[in-house]
Amino acid sequence: MPGWGQKGQERLAGARVFLAGVGGLGCAAGVYLATAGVGRMDVCDADAVERSNLNRQFLYTPRDVGRPKAELARDRLAALNPSIEVSALVTEIDHATAPELIAGADIVLDCLDNLETRFALNRACIAARVPMVYAAAADWTGYLSFLKPPETPCLECFVTRTPPPVEPAIPGCTPGTLGALQAMEALKYLTGIGNVFAGKLLVMDGAEPRFDVVAVDRDPSCAACSKLKAK
Amino acid sequence: MTIYLRSGGKLRDQLKPDVDEYTRRVEVDGDLTLKEILTTLGIPLAFVAFAFTDGMLRRLDYKPSDGETITLQPPVSGG
Ligand SMILES: [Zn+2]
Repeated sequence: MPGWGQKGQERLAGARVFLAGVGGLGCAAGVYLATAGVGRMDVCDADAVERSNLNRQFLYTPRDVGRPKAELARDRLAALNPSIEVSALVTEIDHATAPELIAGADIVLDCLDNLETRFALNRACIAARVPMVYAAAADWTGYLSFLKPPETPCLECFVTRTPPPVEPAIPGCTPGTLGALQAMEALKYLTGIGNVFAGKLLVMDGAEPRFDVVAVDRDPSCAACSKLKAK
Repeated sequence: MTIYLRSGGKLRDQLKPDVDEYTRRVEVDGDLTLKEILTTLGIPLAFVAFAFTDGMLRRLDYKPSDGETITLQPPVSGG
């Protein structure tokens, strides 16, 4: 593949990715990163597998219900590619823990399932100057953007509303699609191939179906990133 | 003036499309912001995460022009 080759593979082998959440997004992203040969993956999720997860979190089976997702994901991703190193972090991500958790990562994948944790991860990524690939999904709808302020907006520049208390049901293919795209963003960034969704938001409405790519600007008054000056 | 509000996902339940499955035609008095238009229609702002037109994400203080179509998307946080 143009631009990949031995050099690209070596770059991936030397890369470290922090996977924040191994639910529907994280299972898909994790599989494609592991099989691509990302040398080190830190897989973080405090939750245990629930039966209702199984329609979309395909790294787990009915026998795994009640067991920690991060440990299961570690074992299964490492089995897919024994030449990579995968570590499991069974811990909550919040403002206190996020900076230490992501330390050393070349890129962070936001595969989380709630806004509050996303904002904590966003702040930690800004402080560490590490790019974050945002994605979110519900029913047939999904969003994705590559965030690396000050070159791009951060999450708080354009995601400000509180979601309704009840999220709709989610077929596995929606987070699977978005998770695969998150892996694609990470692989492009790590190998230097192509262009990422920087300053752009992908809006997927799979029901219609329709895919829009819209430009997103930084918010000059953003509480999280406005102090960062563009180079 | 007339504007068209296209809605995605669960927002369709709130917006009640009438032009087609996704789009609602709305008559407005002009010079209103998206926020004011949504409030007039009784659509809670918490149900709108993103609004965009012409390939640009817009904030809720955006003032649509006559004949413009604005796409509205619901908040989504699942993973
Ligand atoms: Zn920001």
